[in-house]
Parts: sequence; structure tokens; C-alpha cells
Amino acid sequence: MTTRRKPIVPIKPGELQVHSPPARPAHLEDIIGIEHTKLGFFEQLRQKIEELETKNQETEDRRRETAAILDGISDLMMVLTEDLKIISVNHVFHETFPGIENPEGHYCYDLFRHESTPCPECPAFRSLSTNTVCKETAIFRIDGTNRHYEMIASPLKNPEWPKHRVLIFKRDVTMEKIYQAKYYQAEKMATLGVLATGVAHEVNNPLAAISGYAQGLQRKLAHIQQQADNTTLEDFREYTQTIVNECNRCRDIVHSLLTFGHPICTFSPMCINDIVTETLKLLHHHLKSQRRITLETELAENLPISYGDAPQMMQVLLNLLTNAVDALNNGDCGGRQGEGTITIRTSATPAEDWVRLEVSDTGCGIPMKNKDKLFEPFFTTKPVGKGIGVGLSTCYNIVRGHKGEITVDSQVGKGSKFIVTLPTNPDEING
Amino acid sequence: MSSSFATKFAIPEIIFGNGSINHLASCARGLGARRILLVSDQGVEDAGWVQVVMDILDQNSLECVYFNEIDSNPRDSQVHAGLEIYLAEGADVIVALGGGSPMDTAKGIGIIAGNGGNISDYEGANRIKRPLPPMIFAPTTAGSGSDMTQYSIITDVSRQVKMTVISRSLVPNISIIDPTMLRTKTEELIIASAVDALAHAVESYVSRLSSPFTDHHALQAIRLFVENLERAVEYRDPKALEQLSIASTAAGMSFSNAGLGALHSLAHSLGGMFDVLHGLVHPILLPAVMRFNMPHSLEKMAVIGRILLGPCPHSDEYAAEEGIHQLETLFKSLNVPTRLGEILPDPEVLEPICKMAVYDACTLTNPCDVTWEDLQSICKEAW
Repeated sequence: MTTRRKPIVPIKPGELQVHSPPARPAHLEDIIGIEHTKLGFFEQLRQKIEELETKNQETEDRRRETAAILDGISDLMMVLTEDLKIISVNHVFHETFPGIENPEGHYCYDLFRHESTPCPECPAFRSLSTNTVCKETAIFRIDGTNRHYEMIASPLKNPEWPKHRVLIFKRDVTMEKIYQAKYYQAEKMATLGVLATGVAHEVNNPLAAISGYAQGLQRKLAHIQQQADNTTLEDFREYTQTIVNECNRCRDIVHSLLTFGHPICTFSPMCINDIVTETLKLLHHHLKSQRRITLETELAENLPISYGDAPQMMQVLLNLLTNAVDALNNGDCGGRQGEGTITIRTSATPAEDWVRLEVSDTGCGIPMKNKDKLFEPFFTTKPVGKGIGVGLSTCYNIVRGHKGEITVDSQVGKGSKFIVTLPTNPDEING
Repeated sequence: MSSSFATKFAIPEIIFGNGSINHLASCARGLGARRILLVSDQGVEDAGWVQVVMDILDQNSLECVYFNEIDSNPRDSQVHAGLEIYLAEGADVIVALGGGSPMDTAKGIGIIAGNGGNISDYEGANRIKRPLPPMIFAPTTAGSGSDMTQYSIITDVSRQVKMTVISRSLVPNISIIDPTMLRTKTEELIIASAVDALAHAVESYVSRLSSPFTDHHALQAIRLFVENLERAVEYRDPKALEQLSIASTAAGMSFSNAGLGALHSLAHSLGGMFDVLHGLVHPILLPAVMRFNMPHSLEKMAVIGRILLGPCPHSDEYAAEEGIHQLETLFKSLNVPTRLGEILPDPEVLEPICKMAVYDACTLTNPCDVTWEDLQSICKEAW
């Protein structure tokens, strides 16, 4: 047998030296290693799971914190791609679009406008191209209601993302706009009131003169009855009396105007029947022009006195009557256009704690789908230019202000009845 | 074994049999492998086994990264080079194919992959605190027993010392022992590894930590060595090679749990200073160490002697002494160096070698206490 042997060489020739003992000398127990076991997957896995659970809890806490902050934002918030595809949304989105569970992947313009192309006024593109925060306002029709939105777009650019993103806040400013509109309306009414007052005062003087001279003429008639024939005399008596009567009527109208234009809202005892009478004076001419419309009044005798602001209540009745006339003039509901009956009815509950004012018409009625929205601001079924839809909402607010209620009872094709109930003692009503 | 210690017996899962290497892929997959670091050396590569293993992995769609820059006494720098590949290639399971060198290197890579730092940080016992990547070892030498043990021996080049790292974590997950791999070994390697296994068996049998669980395996290893070495060397008899393979495995099971003795302390120290093949030291020093230890473990030495001699009606002293003599005769017949002077340049080196060897962990389990002077006298006897 032969063996081939490698030459034996020192690893570092000539540097042999004695070494000190190892820093950690082993013992027999160490070699047995009773308490030392092979460290395996399980321990590693357990530690990793524990580590991950801790990390997961931390991440979850951070997520909740962020979610709480995001939930605190009452604006509708969306992160969009460059081409306006939704990436994520906050909770307000789900309140606005309850029917859409997974908005991710939908196009913004598809949801808000039902369009297949981006809206021309969209601030997202402007913000991305200029790299600035851009604002814009727009009205979207959501769930059948017009909502006014103020939009703020901020560019989200990150070099690590393949494409840019854009953050959009949409704030629903419908209520603000309504209050703004109401404010303008109220201001207009107040100006009109001042104007009317001025006009009324100015008209009162010539009226007084006309009335005075007419009465003077009546007195003179006794002196000239011998010089004139009876027929002529009778004519003069009748004409002067008419002048006096009409002057009186003008005086009353002017008085109504003065009351209506009174700018300060004061609660005082008022009789609903008087309000009906006064309002009808103002509307007399308007109603007279509607020749085929019959106006009926059924005013309860001994109606209890209620408390409130008479001019405001007049405005309520004015609005309800205008609406009733419009309902009869609506050509869409069959029947003969501009023909029908409007009934104003006042009554009181047996205990006399509520008075009731009804305005009913035999017009086209209100479809079921519109009933809920009647008192919403800017809701209108009238063609553009014929009304902005604040009438009934104003009525609603005035009646609520009097702690009363306004309801509607309507059947399509048969007519509508608006019922206003007012407490005779509002102090007893809570809220 | 001292009665004051509780004992322990730990071994990997063992898959044994001709052709068992074919189970490598399913074993690796079972341990979660996707990308395997295969550690081997040039000799195994030349014998064609690296390609065989690569093909097995490839056929089972397992990716494989290969590392083979390993000397016969693996160095710390080689462990770190292997680790770099392990990390850079994103490997998961470590497969070692070969003798003690690739397996010890694989263990070293596993230690740093799981625990970080330098391999020298883990010198000594039970310094490893975190798990290692799953390891599958396939021995090709039937000698080192590294596929069974909780030891890794790595040379610290700067200190010129073979560091012993001891940890249960170093016991591989699975050991696949395929005796067919022994057929391509050189004669020198068959002898060196067989004598290595014999030395493991003898030293662990008389070790202070030996137990009934290790004794059985140690004696089985000695018996199989005696019965099969000649046939294996002369005829490459597959059956004999298979039995040597079992002997090596049994010796590994024994010494991993019982520890070794002064022979291995000296062999490690020699290996640290001289790039000498581990197995070549044993035929030189084993008889001398056995003689030194004989008074402290006479009964066990006699048991060994009777295995070597056959039934022997004489006293334990006679059986033990004659057994050692029989071993010397056997080693001489193998035409391997049997005197220390044949492999060392200068007797001057003995002193530093012995002074370092007393600190080796193997010295602890020697049946009797030894000083460096004791070791020097052993070496001088073997010079």
C-alpha cells in the first residue's frame, strides 16, 4: 500500500508562540449542555410573530389615530390619480354616496356629474400643472338635489410614485349659500319695505287732499240742488261717494303697506283673520286679474288671538296664495289652465290652544317624490326665471320661528292644502 | 462518566442507505428551502458528487449557490467568504457535501448567518444564542463525524489556533449518509477518515462524559472498523465501505455527546499550527495517548483490546496493552506515518503545541487530568 501525502507546512512559519488560555474556558457541563437545546424554527417563528404582533399593534394604533384625524374632517376628501380616478376617500364620501361601497377606480366626474369627460372647471389639473393649491366652486346634482361645493385641489407629488396624485377637498357650502341668498332676500324686502313706507306716506297726502275735496264737493251739492236736474245730482253724489270710498280703500292699502314694510320684527297679539283680510287687500289686484279663479274665505268667528309678527305672517300667507295661484296656472296637470278655486280657511282647536290657517287649491297637486323637498331651500318646480325656490322655505322658517308647524296635504290632480298651525300661547311650547 | 452529571444524547435525523442522497431535495424542501447554499470542496467536486447533488436539486426546481473555497483545515476567513455568498445570494438552507472541512465551514457560515459577528466570538461552549439556518449534511468521507456532532473546528489564522465551537445548534437538522459516495475516495482518505473515526470511538468510549448511550455506539464503531478496514482499503468492497460508514456515524453519535480527549487536543493544536490532515495525526498519537490514559480507564481499554485481539483470556492489563500494540501494528501495515518526527520539522515546536493543547475543550473530557508537560511526554514518546 502506498499513500500520497501532502507536504506539511506551518500556517505561519517561524511565528510559533505560546497562547494564553481562551477568555471563556469551557467546563464539562458546557459540553453536556443540558439546558442548551438546538435552537430551531419554532423559537425563531415565535419571536418573529411576537415582533410582528407588536409592530402590527403600533401600526394599527397609528392607523386609528390617522383615521380619527381624517374622520374629524367634515369635508369630502378624495385622493385621485392624474386622470381623476379615485384612489381613496374619507368617510364623508360614503355619507354623500351611500350607494357606492368601493369608490376606488371610479372616475370623479362620473360620480359627480355622470359625465364621461372631466368637468371644465376642475381645479385638479390646474393644481397639478402649476404645482399649487387651487380653488373652485361648482354645483353638483347629487341624489336629485343641487349641492353647492367649494373645491380645493392640492398636488401630491412623490418621486417614488410612478404617477402624480391630487388631493381634493369638496366642502358642501349649500347651507351657506342659502343663508346668503336669504340674507339678500331679507335685505331686499327690508329695502322694499322702507320704499313702500316712503311711497305710502307720500301717497297719503294727495289721497287726503282728494278725499277732502270730494267730501267738500258732497257738501256743496246741497247748495246747487236747485240749479241742477236730479239725474245730474244723483251722478255727482255717486261719483263723489265713489271717490271718497276709493280714497278710503287706498288709505287702507297704504296702511297695510306701512304695516308690511315695518322693518322690526316684534311679537304682538294678532288675529289671523285680520292678517287674511290685510293680505287679500294687497293681493286684490293680482287676484282680480285671474278671472277664472274663485277665491273663497271661510274665516272662523271668535278666533282666539295668537302672538306673532303680523308682517311675517302676512308674508307666509302671501307666499301660500302665490303658490296656489301658480298651481292653478300650471298647464301640466290637465284640467283647464288658470281655472279653479282657492279657499282660505281659519279655525281653532276646541281647547283654543292652536289656531289653524289653511290655504287649499284645486290645482295639480304635488307628486310624492317632491313632497319631502317642498320646504328645502332652492327647491322649485317652476321654470327658470319664475321663482328661485325660497318661498316655501321662508314660510317654513317663519312658522318655525313662531313655534308653529306647516304641513302639506296633497293629491296629484286634485289639489293641495297647506296647513299652518300656530300656538295661541307660544311661551308654553318648548323648543 | 462521573455520576455527578446528568447526561444527554442528541443527534440529527439520520437518513442512511445506498442512494439516500436522492432524498436531499425533498428534505431541503421540508426545511423551507428555495435557494440552497451548497458547501463542498475541490476533492468532492473532482469526484463528481457536487454535480450529482446539483442535478438532484435542479431536477426538483431548487436553486443552488455553490461555495468551495475551503482548505482541509477550514479557516475563519473561508467561513466569512462563504457567509458573504450566503447573504449576497439570498440563500436559505445550507447543504454541506464532503468531509469535516465543508461541514465545519457550513456550520461556521450558519452561525454567523443566524447570529452575526465573527466566528471567533463563538469559540467555546454554548455561545450561540439565536437559531441557525436549517442545515443538511451529506458526508463523503465516513470519518469526521461532523454530520453528527455539536462541534465545529475552525482555524483562527491570526492566532494560529483551531477554535472549537460547541453548541447543540450545530447538530445539523438532517444527515444523509449515502455509502455509495465513499467509493470514489482515495486510499489515503479512506484510511485517514477510518482512523479518525476509530480515534473518535476510542476517545469517547473512555471519556469522562461517556454514558451507556454513547458506549454502545463507540464499541460498535471500533468493532466495525476492525472488521472492515482492510477489505475496504484493499478491495473497495462496497459492503465494507458501507460498514465503515456506519462505524463513522456511530463514532460521531458517541463523541458528539461524550466528548473526546487529549489526542484530539493535540491534533487540534497541531492542525492550528501546521496544515496537517487531521486523520494523519491519529495513527501517530493514538497509541501513545491510550498508554498514557490506560491506568485511569483500564477496564475500558481492556474492552477495546479484546475487540482488537479477539477473545483474550488474560488480565485487563494484558488485554489493554496488547490491544494498543495491535493498533500500532495495524497502523504500520497501513503505511502511514507512525512517528511524529516524520510529519513535524523540529521537536522545538512541541512545547508551544502542547501548551496550547491543554486549553482545548477536548482536554476536559480526557479520562484523567493532563498538564502540558504530560502532553509533551506523550509527543516525545511518539516522536
